[in-house]
Amino acid sequence: MTHRPSLASAALASGLVAAGAHAAGSDTIRIGLVGTGGRGTQDLINCAKSAPGVEIRALGDLFKDRVDGCFGRLKQDQGITDRFKVTPDRCFHGWDNYKAVIECVDLVLLCQPPGFRPLHMRAAIEAGKHVFAEKPVAVDPAGVRHVIETARMADEKKLAILAGTQTRHQADAVETIRRIADGAIGKIRSGACYFLTGELWHHDRKPEWSEMEYQCRNWYYFTWLSGDHIVEQHVHQHDLLNWALQATPVKCVGTGGRQTRTAPQWGHIWDHFAVEYEYPGGVRIMSLCRQANNAANRVDTVLVGSKGVAYPARGEITGANAWKYAQEVPDPSVAEHKALIESIRAGKPINDGKRIAETSLTSVMGRMAAYTGRELSWKWAMESSKLDLAPPKYEFGPVPVPPVAIPGQTELI
Amino acid sequence: MRKHSSKPSATEVSRRDFLKGSAAASAAVLVSGVASHVAHAAGSDTIKVGLIGCGGRGGGAIRDFLSAAKNLNANVKVVAFGDLWLDRAKGTMGGLKNDNNFKDRVDCTDERCFGGFDNHDKVLAAGVDAIVTAAPPGFRAIHFPAAIAAGKHVFMEKPVCVDPWGYRENLKAAEEADKKKLTVVAGTQRRHSKCYQATMEQIHNGAIGKLTGGQFYWMGGPVTHNRGRGKDMSDVEWQVSNWYAWCWTCGDHIVEQHVHNLDIMLWAFKGPPEKCVAVGGRQTREEPGNVWDHFAVEYEFPGGVRCASYCSHWPKGAGRVSERVVGEKGTSNCAGNISGDKGWGYKGEDPNHYVVEHEDFIKSILGTGPHYNEGKQVTESTMAAVMGRMAAYTGREISWKWVTQTSKLKLGPEKYEFGPYQPEPVAIPGKTELI
Repeated sequence: MTHRPSLASAALASGLVAAGAHAAGSDTIRIGLVGTGGRGTQDLINCAKSAPGVEIRALGDLFKDRVDGCFGRLKQDQGITDRFKVTPDRCFHGWDNYKAVIECVDLVLLCQPPGFRPLHMRAAIEAGKHVFAEKPVAVDPAGVRHVIETARMADEKKLAILAGTQTRHQADAVETIRRIADGAIGKIRSGACYFLTGELWHHDRKPEWSEMEYQCRNWYYFTWLSGDHIVEQHVHQHDLLNWALQATPVKCVGTGGRQTRTAPQWGHIWDHFAVEYEYPGGVRIMSLCRQANNAANRVDTVLVGSKGVAYPARGEITGANAWKYAQEVPDPSVAEHKALIESIRAGKPINDGKRIAETSLTSVMGRMAAYTGRELSWKWAMESSKLDLAPPKYEFGPVPVPPVAIPGQTELI
Repeated sequence: MRKHSSKPSATEVSRRDFLKGSAAASAAVLVSGVASHVAHAAGSDTIKVGLIGCGGRGGGAIRDFLSAAKNLNANVKVVAFGDLWLDRAKGTMGGLKNDNNFKDRVDCTDERCFGGFDNHDKVLAAGVDAIVTAAPPGFRAIHFPAAIAAGKHVFMEKPVCVDPWGYRENLKAAEEADKKKLTVVAGTQRRHSKCYQATMEQIHNGAIGKLTGGQFYWMGGPVTHNRGRGKDMSDVEWQVSNWYAWCWTCGDHIVEQHVHNLDIMLWAFKGPPEKCVAVGGRQTREEPGNVWDHFAVEYEFPGGVRCASYCSHWPKGAGRVSERVVGEKGTSNCAGNISGDKGWGYKGEDPNHYVVEHEDFIKSILGTGPHYNEGKQVTESTMAAVMGRMAAYTGREISWKWVTQTSKLKLGPEKYEFGPYQPEPVAIPGKTELI
């Protein structure tokens, strides 16, 4: 399977920078995808196209039909014909698919449901492979701490971890944040962020599926897999907040519930959250998210300063230093991969691991505050919370259906 | 005029001066056939008061009112009691008559205790100068305009409406009160706190610079009305007896309770917001009813200034009932503290504003203090809460202009009588219609 010394073994043997060894040997970067859903497949295409000399080598998913489907689609994709080097024997499925994919590649794109991310990231870094990790990277504090440790290991091994928070690579947002840091809106005094959108997909239950299979196929609607939509989706805005404020929240309080999406097909996640994050210096930011049809749509982040207001995702500042980003904005979902590949080739691998773990905890603590109705501190969530949503065993079979969280009843763990 | 055996105090002299002046000044008003208080002032200085709504808050409000009268040594008599249920009117009267603190200021018998949906009309016709109204919020936009039409001074508990229809009724009544020079004080008691007043003065004088945002909270435990349904009890009777549980009687807790905090928002920003977007739901309540148990609203003011509002009725939840205004140069809790460039703390006294609001009410009627007509102010604050609820219930973004001018929403049965009535089901955003 391995056609040349893996980056890990080269690095381990010589003590050299892994990426350096790679760069010295061959210019080709072999990539593979774990989690062949819509997001992952697009990530894979974007990564392959982002730079020359990137080859798609392997695909993996929990489900055979999914990985086969992805293989079929990518094979037909004219845009990546010269980069698509996957053979049927490098399509893997089952619980260990990630291990097989990791073996085949230099850079693995980890795009299975978020609940698996800590496990997969650790395996990739332990195997000496670079990582692209879709956001979020954890669904509970245990996972967050695990990823932070993985990130530390990646630093030691000079391996890249790039997170799929593509706004960090969106030119107008980058420039807005730079201006905020330069004082364009003065001191940040308050703000708001929103992810108010509609309902998503669902897969009808099939008689041959075990409950575990049902949950994994409908992963979005189970907190142990998705983190709930405040974590899975709204994490983008939380990342922007942490970025703009150059901090993580001190504490939060939240509300929310399951008001519109109440049928059993939607698992047990909620459909709306409202969280107040308090950052150092008493800066309080309102975070609203909802997945409901026929309701107001709004996806935005607003930072209110003493001298103006910034909208990073729009590349806009109003007030004393009014400004609007005028140039073209390259697709950030491609730009992030370009930056990743460049960093690997330059021997200076990007390691976003700790940052994306902290961003994920920002969203996770908001969910925990809302589920329980309690006010939470960052310190407690990061250091003391014992919440670990992972099932005792990854295997198909009967598993409990978690109850819908009820504040006042749902325990703070 | 009031007879005193002892020498009148300076205050009383000034009040006498007022009464004299008022009688003269009001001649013109009398010609136009309004303002019973003027007759009151000219004839006797006993303020005759009726209580409408003899539940827990009504009993509390009338005691606060009488405590205020005592503090001011004002000659006040409660002469009529009204409630949907006659026995409750009589019960509240009986309780006061048995209360040594207040019995000398109660001059009422069973004949002036009234029940039924028209109890307020009967109280208004019972020779009162003023009313204290604390019936469930859904009735306020009927009781308040009726009292103003009858030329009575009004102390009304908050909130004062549950829908845009009630907002418009109240605004008309507030204008009429202005014309009739009637006193209107609302139970948004923070407006009568010396501490809040002093802080708001600081804020309005620029202590924290231009306002850039704010946060307003009423996160607390549940208020639960879950009285059993008696035999032969109609829908309406059962619903009103559990008024907190139903939107048409209560307005939902964002309106009924959180209005206090939103009132501070409107005070600080000197007016209502331009628009709002909101989320919320009913996640923990198990009792019958259609109110929710949590809301979060973003109110947007001119210039894109955003305020966050959070309210919840959750057991064992985070408790937070407060206000916070953020400016360019500092932050204030609106209640005695300003932090930032110009730090400041209120050092004065802050007498119980549940009583002070009634002192201000009485002094306004007597002319011994500033004149109050809080009708518009409390109606606007209530409407801000109603607008937040409507945005949350429907999931839609709503503008102040639309909700006050165009919305056709009017809650409750067509006719107020004990009978069948099926309120709207629990609101579902995206399904609940924006009316």
